Amino acid sequence: MNPALATVLVVLLAGILLTLPLLPALVELRLKRDAQPLKVIQEYAGEIRHFSYGFRSYIAALLEPLRECAASRTMAKGTMPDGDHYLLLGRADDARLVSAAGRTTCQSVVAAGTDVVLPGGITFVKEMYAAGDLTGGEKSVFRALLGERDIQLGPGSTVTRWAHAVGVFRAGRDCDLYGRISSDREIQLESGCAFQRLNAPCIALGRSDTEDTDVAATTAPTPVPQGRRLVDEDLEIPAGDIVSANIVTRGKLHIGAGARVLGSVKSHKQMTVDAGVRVEGSLISVSTMHIGPDCRITGPVIAEHGMSIETRTRCGSIRTPTTVSAPTIAIADGVTVFGTVWARSEGQVVPQG
Amino acid sequence: MLYALFAIVTLITVYTLRHYVFTLNRLFGFQRHPYIDIDAANWPPITILIAAHNEEKVVAHILAALMNVNYPKEKMLVVPVNDRSTDRTREIINRFCEDYPGRIRAFHRTEGKGGKGAALKDAMELVDTEVVLIFDADYIPGVGLIRQLVAPFFDAEVGGVMGRVVPLNVGSNLLTRLLDFERLGGYQVDQQARMNLGLVPQHGGTVAGVRLSALREIGGWNDNSLSEDTDLTYRLLLAGWKTVYQNRSECYEEVPETWQVRIKQLMRWARGHNQALADYGFKLLFGKHRATFRERIDGFLLLGVYAMAPLTLVGWILALGLFYEGVVPLHGLIALLAITTYGAVGNFAAFFEIAAAARLDYTHQKVCLLPFLVLGFGVSIFSVTRACISQLLAPITGEQFHWDKTERFRTTP
Repeated sequence: MNPALATVLVVLLAGILLTLPLLPALVELRLKRDAQPLKVIQEYAGEIRHFSYGFRSYIAALLEPLRECAASRTMAKGTMPDGDHYLLLGRADDARLVSAAGRTTCQSVVAAGTDVVLPGGITFVKEMYAAGDLTGGEKSVFRALLGERDIQLGPGSTVTRWAHAVGVFRAGRDCDLYGRISSDREIQLESGCAFQRLNAPCIALGRSDTEDTDVAATTAPTPVPQGRRLVDEDLEIPAGDIVSANIVTRGKLHIGAGARVLGSVKSHKQMTVDAGVRVEGSLISVSTMHIGPDCRITGPVIAEHGMSIETRTRCGSIRTPTTVSAPTIAIADGVTVFGTVWARSEGQVVPQG
Repeated sequence: MLYALFAIVTLITVYTLRHYVFTLNRLFGFQRHPYIDIDAANWPPITILIAAHNEEKVVAHILAALMNVNYPKEKMLVVPVNDRSTDRTREIINRFCEDYPGRIRAFHRTEGKGGKGAALKDAMELVDTEVVLIFDADYIPGVGLIRQLVAPFFDAEVGGVMGRVVPLNVGSNLLTRLLDFERLGGYQVDQQARMNLGLVPQHGGTVAGVRLSALREIGGWNDNSLSEDTDLTYRLLLAGWKTVYQNRSECYEEVPETWQVRIKQLMRWARGHNQALADYGFKLLFGKHRATFRERIDGFLLLGVYAMAPLTLVGWILALGLFYEGVVPLHGLIALLAITTYGAVGNFAAFFEIAAAARLDYTHQKVCLLPFLVLGFGVSIFSVTRACISQLLAPITGEQFHWDKTERFRTTP
């Protein structure tokens, strides 16, 4: 072979071999198939009511016919623009028709123009809307619920995605509430209920004393001090002590019964708060947290690895809402939280004792 | 020479391992986002400082965005810090002040020391809230971002907060796409892994917050620093305050679109970082302070990032020199093993990190561009080395370093 040709061929081959691995890169550079910025939703505000707002828009076109059904006490059926069937109920007892033929599943979007009482044991595959009070039967399964007034779920019911009540949201014993549950007034969950994310001005878990709730609502927050007290080992705040400082400990923290902390508290290891403790700031544990009965916590309550709260404890107040958050939360009967309870994995209302 | 090369190779290996630890932690470890769930709270009053020096192209966007956030209006004061601007920045800010009375208070700085740190230091006269957030003027905060950045301050140990920076002008050219990679790896993997592992997330000085009492405790902003954010990170750390990273608090920024601007930015960062290394490196490792053992190690490695560029170059020169000198320790076995191992595993670390970050962001096609990272790496290593050399020679040459504003490329008015 001609030496010049051989050289050209070698150079060409080497060039091809060098370029070949870069081919996908060159194609991507040229075509810009993935050259958009990471999608950051500028309007995202972490709003728990996001899906209920969306659903309200979705059924906006049905509201006028729904009012006509309610006025004429009739039912109506139809199909939404996306192909989903809907069922409009004009009377409180119309809902019995849902299970009239022995069916246990309702495939339609259901909208009730008045108060509605639902039969038990039905699975509602699509969303449900109620212009009045909504009362669910036992062991029903709902995909999502939007109530313009109160929502009452029967014992053993399940919500798989979200529920929002403009009035009070109540769930009977042993309900499973996945996703987002919110109310513009109050959420009441009975013992045995499992939950993930709850938000309302007042969340009463189990048998809460609402009279005491009002007392908490009128309590003005104490100014939180600036600066910190740093502790490198375990720390115990003796029972009955009053501490005016923000406290950070790298060990375990034990706050004795009846102590009062005028500030925020953080521990890197297990935190134990005995009965009757008041904390005017936040409670944060990098590990687990146990809060005893009759405590009052003003600020956010965060545990990175799990939390239990005993009866009659109050977190936040009507004027100073707060967040209680941990991967797993066990809350005893009688606890009240003003604001948000967020269990990333699972929360449970457990019977006291 | 041989031992110097061994030392450099050891350092490179340490940084390589660090890449792997961070990446594997992000892929398989426990992820910490302790404050992201705080959505109901008695939100504290805050001040938001916007550093603005000749920002007529972008300042209106951030002011408009901040007027639209869901933080309680009566508890939020926005202070645009107009630092000796010669363009229309003052006029735009004043117009917003008139449109939103009581919600925006302008701070026009007409003289004084240059630099963001100096401007922020002067602007602190207007601040009386415990929580202060800081943005550069080219950022566009979303509706929920302010609450997310304030939430960590309910933790009494937190002195600083840093959010995630996301490039907006990714598709402009190859450089912006490479910078997108850099931010991907740096935030999605490095910063979050540091947060997960209890190490030292870095305060970036924008999309960020600082606790006023912590800032006062450490002596306020350091107007002598070329990178006030790195300086702040280490002074907070030494005083026992935590800087936390919020990976889900994302905010768009504009990245440089020309290599000239990028090189200038890199050189400023390198000088600032090296300045912090000189100021705090020894003290961090061996001093008596509140940082934990792992924070000392990670913090020192973070400080040394820019110093590694000239060291790597020296390593290459030493390796070549030794090769031509005929120095072959253990019959070349060590060199052979080292080169083979590094070629197979070490070189791959940064690529692996960025590919993992892209996966975590659910993006797919952009990883095809990874081979071009070599180009960015080459430019970085020589720019940073140049910055380091000029900094080392400054006592002899008398060169003065000053803060350079990064040029903006946004075209919409």
